[in-house]
Amino acid sequence: MTAPGDGAPRDGKAIGRALAVNRYGAGPIDPGGRLRLAGVSYLNARPIVHGLLQGLGGADLLLELARPAEVARRLFEDEADAALVPAATIAAHGGLEVAPGIAVGADGPVRSVVIVGDRPVEELDTLLLDASSRTSVVLARLVAAQRRGGRALPVVSRTPAQILAEVREGTGAVLIGDEALAARGRFAHELDLAEAWKSWTGLPFVFAVWGARRGVLGARERALLAASLEAGLAARAEIAASWAAEHGGDRAALERYLRDNLRYTLDDAALAGLREFYARAAEARLLPPCTLRVAGDAGTSRAALPAPSIDALLDAAAGGARLSFDDALRLAEEAPTLDLGLAADARRRALHPEGVVTYIVDRNVNYTNACTIACRFCAFYRPVGHEEVYVLSRDVLRQKIEEVVAAGGIQVLLQGGIHPGLRLSWYEELFRWWKSEFPNVALHALSPEEIWGLARIETAAGEPATIEDVLRRLMAAGMDSLPGGGAEVLTDRVRRKIAKAKCTSAEWIECMRVAHRLGLRTTATMMYGTTDTVVDRLAHLLKVRDLQDETGGFTAFICWDYQHDQGVKQAAGETGTVLYLRMQALSRLVLDNVRSIQSSWVTQGPGVGQLALRYGANDLGSTMFEENVVSSAGTTFAMDAAQIERHAHAAGFPVARRNMRYEWLTEPA
Amino acid sequence: MTTARFDEIAAKVRAGTRLTEEDGLGLYLEPDLLAVGQLANEVRERLHGDRTYFNVNMRYEATNVCEASCRFCAFAKLERGKPGAHTSTHEEAWRELAEFPDPRLSELHMVNGLDPNLAFEWYEELLRGWKRIRPAIHLKCFTAVEIHYFAQKFGMTYAEVLRRLMDAGLDTMPGGGAEILHPEVRARISRDKADGDAYLAVHRAAHGLGMKTNCTMLYGHIETLAHRVDHLARLRALQDETRGFQCFIPLAFHNMNNAMEQLPEPTAVDDLRTISVARLMLDNIPHVKAYWVSMTVETAQIALRFGADDLDGTIVHETIYHSAGSTVPMGLTRDDLLRLIREAGRVPVERDSLYGVVEEYVRAIAPEASMKVRDRNAKKHLELAR
Repeated sequence: MTAPGDGAPRDGKAIGRALAVNRYGAGPIDPGGRLRLAGVSYLNARPIVHGLLQGLGGADLLLELARPAEVARRLFEDEADAALVPAATIAAHGGLEVAPGIAVGADGPVRSVVIVGDRPVEELDTLLLDASSRTSVVLARLVAAQRRGGRALPVVSRTPAQILAEVREGTGAVLIGDEALAARGRFAHELDLAEAWKSWTGLPFVFAVWGARRGVLGARERALLAASLEAGLAARAEIAASWAAEHGGDRAALERYLRDNLRYTLDDAALAGLREFYARAAEARLLPPCTLRVAGDAGTSRAALPAPSIDALLDAAAGGARLSFDDALRLAEEAPTLDLGLAADARRRALHPEGVVTYIVDRNVNYTNACTIACRFCAFYRPVGHEEVYVLSRDVLRQKIEEVVAAGGIQVLLQGGIHPGLRLSWYEELFRWWKSEFPNVALHALSPEEIWGLARIETAAGEPATIEDVLRRLMAAGMDSLPGGGAEVLTDRVRRKIAKAKCTSAEWIECMRVAHRLGLRTTATMMYGTTDTVVDRLAHLLKVRDLQDETGGFTAFICWDYQHDQGVKQAAGETGTVLYLRMQALSRLVLDNVRSIQSSWVTQGPGVGQLALRYGANDLGSTMFEENVVSSAGTTFAMDAAQIERHAHAAGFPVARRNMRYEWLTEPA
Repeated sequence: MTTARFDEIAAKVRAGTRLTEEDGLGLYLEPDLLAVGQLANEVRERLHGDRTYFNVNMRYEATNVCEASCRFCAFAKLERGKPGAHTSTHEEAWRELAEFPDPRLSELHMVNGLDPNLAFEWYEELLRGWKRIRPAIHLKCFTAVEIHYFAQKFGMTYAEVLRRLMDAGLDTMPGGGAEILHPEVRARISRDKADGDAYLAVHRAAHGLGMKTNCTMLYGHIETLAHRVDHLARLRALQDETRGFQCFIPLAFHNMNNAMEQLPEPTAVDDLRTISVARLMLDNIPHVKAYWVSMTVETAQIALRFGADDLDGTIVHETIYHSAGSTVPMGLTRDDLLRLIREAGRVPVERDSLYGVVEEYVRAIAPEASMKVRDRNAKKHLELAR
């Protein structure tokens, strides 16, 4: 497929040894050149990090403990050189080596990962689980399907707090950690998942291993990690005692758990168990295919087990295979643009076999330009008190909505800034007025930033509100859906640089999680091209994909590059038409669980917006009556419905109008 | 997912077999645009590898007064004294070049209206003056339509006109004025200027004098796809005879301020496909240009992977397309062009007007080049264009 000499644009930097040279040029490399390790803060991982906590490695080492999802994030975003990560993370990343000999595993019952219910797994109708614990979830789904003769058990994602409360007749749950240990004997049926795995495959199960990018775990680092575990194994009694003293629990039971249930050796049997897990998970399309590579082991090196070629990756992606972070990175760096387009086009055809391009007739309305966030890239906002600050009156709003209705529109995308003078009640009244005056004009309103802003404003005013409270009240007042704006790039090193006061990546995701759980559908966006690198952009896509696995609440994904103009503090970074089409094609390939990809013709122009339909997009967004944010930065593209349809037709597609849920409102023509 | 017809055509391309007009139509009708682009890209890379040409040039129009009344034209003002009609003096024209800031300027590209008030000697003196100011400047001037007009008006053969202009400093001819060569179309859009045969005859005469020229096609108005393919075949036939064409440049119809405002403009997929079909049909013309003024900067960049190997140049102050509603910048800087080419993963080559290498930019993309502001404020450019 790749023509000789087709030098693909390089979307990244040369590879260097991770310790000495930060591969991506943007990560916070430790200034002292120390090895940055991230460990899991849970008890079961304590023996592995025990020696390190006791000072092994000395000043050459920086160890921080966190929850598994945070530990994995640090590895993906290059904030850690090596991390103790869940087994699923190794597959999701795809470019990691594991440290030899060390694992958190079990060879028989583990007690801390179980399925509970009022009946055996074979007879359950639904399984509640916390989708963010990916390894246990994949294990649970594999075991459940195996016990049910290959029939998958429908799963529903809930927060750990909700899970126990919702277990009922026919509805079981996956319990992990303390909840699992505490639930012993409380349910009629309990299935220990490590034990079930053992009886199924005859192999141990591995929950977590040290993962690191190639080249990080040299002989010295491997010896250090081995010594840390050795010290920890010898100190299990002491670890259990200090844990019990600090967190409560029975010292002896904890020690038995560490000694009898957990197995810390990554020996041949454990490696075989891990490989078996990856193979079965890939077969069930729950994880990307994974080649397990052990640091220092020539038998599993890239020379011995070569990574798939770019052409093979493109073929796999075009066929719908789930891409790992490393797969996506290789495609971003090496795949020719036309080949990325062809693969994305194949995915678009597979997901939308009817071959119809959709668009919506709506308009953007920016209710205020006052904002306290002061993003460096924004040319639209005015600080509070500035003479050009406005808040749209009802009369102006009415006129704008009437124009939408007159043009056959069905929705308004209503966004503004964080105006400290506008309380939640102001929005509620506005939405109620809106729905009484214009019941047929949907409110695609606000963004996670504004939801967090409202929670803060309410709390500061002495009426504490969570984002869930805010969303519930807005929904009750008439909000129909939540736009995915303000995501920018969902890594905090980028957000801190370009929008210091903005909500964090985790908060943005959390707001979407809550919104989805409340039944709101939302979109997801990415504005790249400031200080981000390819690693940030791909980490963003994976965060969207992970949440979508959990909730299924995203209807579409839209990306565009930063539209720079004079007078704005933020310089432009990696931007341009070629990169846009590559990013959009990659989005189509990586986001295998997001149904629609919108072309951003508003930023890229009608021509490139049209071409984007051959690079993975199936939607032309919305008509443009007015739009103030991007156009403040100098981009002034506009198309009405007839022009949108003409561009789709010229590209060979029939067109249908849609609503926010991407349901057709007209017959394709 | 390509059609059997496409696979047949692709096999011919890979075997080096010349495509027929039916094949050209087949390429236009193939649903898989990217496959057509990829095939054209193969040919482009076979010919040029990653090299992508541009030059530091300026455009000049000495007069927009024009006797012809082409229906697609928004530039010509027909008569002297009409609002907007302007004919430069020699001094004005010379000053443009004398004051041009970039010492690397290598080409002056001039096309004009057919102004009945100017003597032939006026043009000769214009060229001589430019050569006096910058002896090394390459003068790429006068479309075949102008040469034909001079021949008729001043009673000379094409060769006589060309020889006198060459004596005055003319180096090559641009490819403008080809429109659509087929008489069915040409008679309806520009009946009162050189016809298709005359266009080809002028280029034949120029090639006979050892002059290199370019050729163009104005597409996306009333012509059919068959007319386009016929047009390409006519150019290819002349090239078989003379080998004098350096570059083919497709020009997209724009619909503002002309007599065909009711027609929609071609869209980006058509722009790219036309680049690809041209690359595949014109097996004897070395270069295919993505003229960024015609197809927008963004689409032109993408065209570098659909068969094009040239982006034209800095241009500095384009007026013909801007008169017809184009909202692209009036000109680009050399840094802009380097960035555009590098972002597309290609190797920029600054060329002279005969495709001699001025500089090949082999080093990696300079960070500062990718930091340039993408200036595409349409309103601002429209104001400038007025």
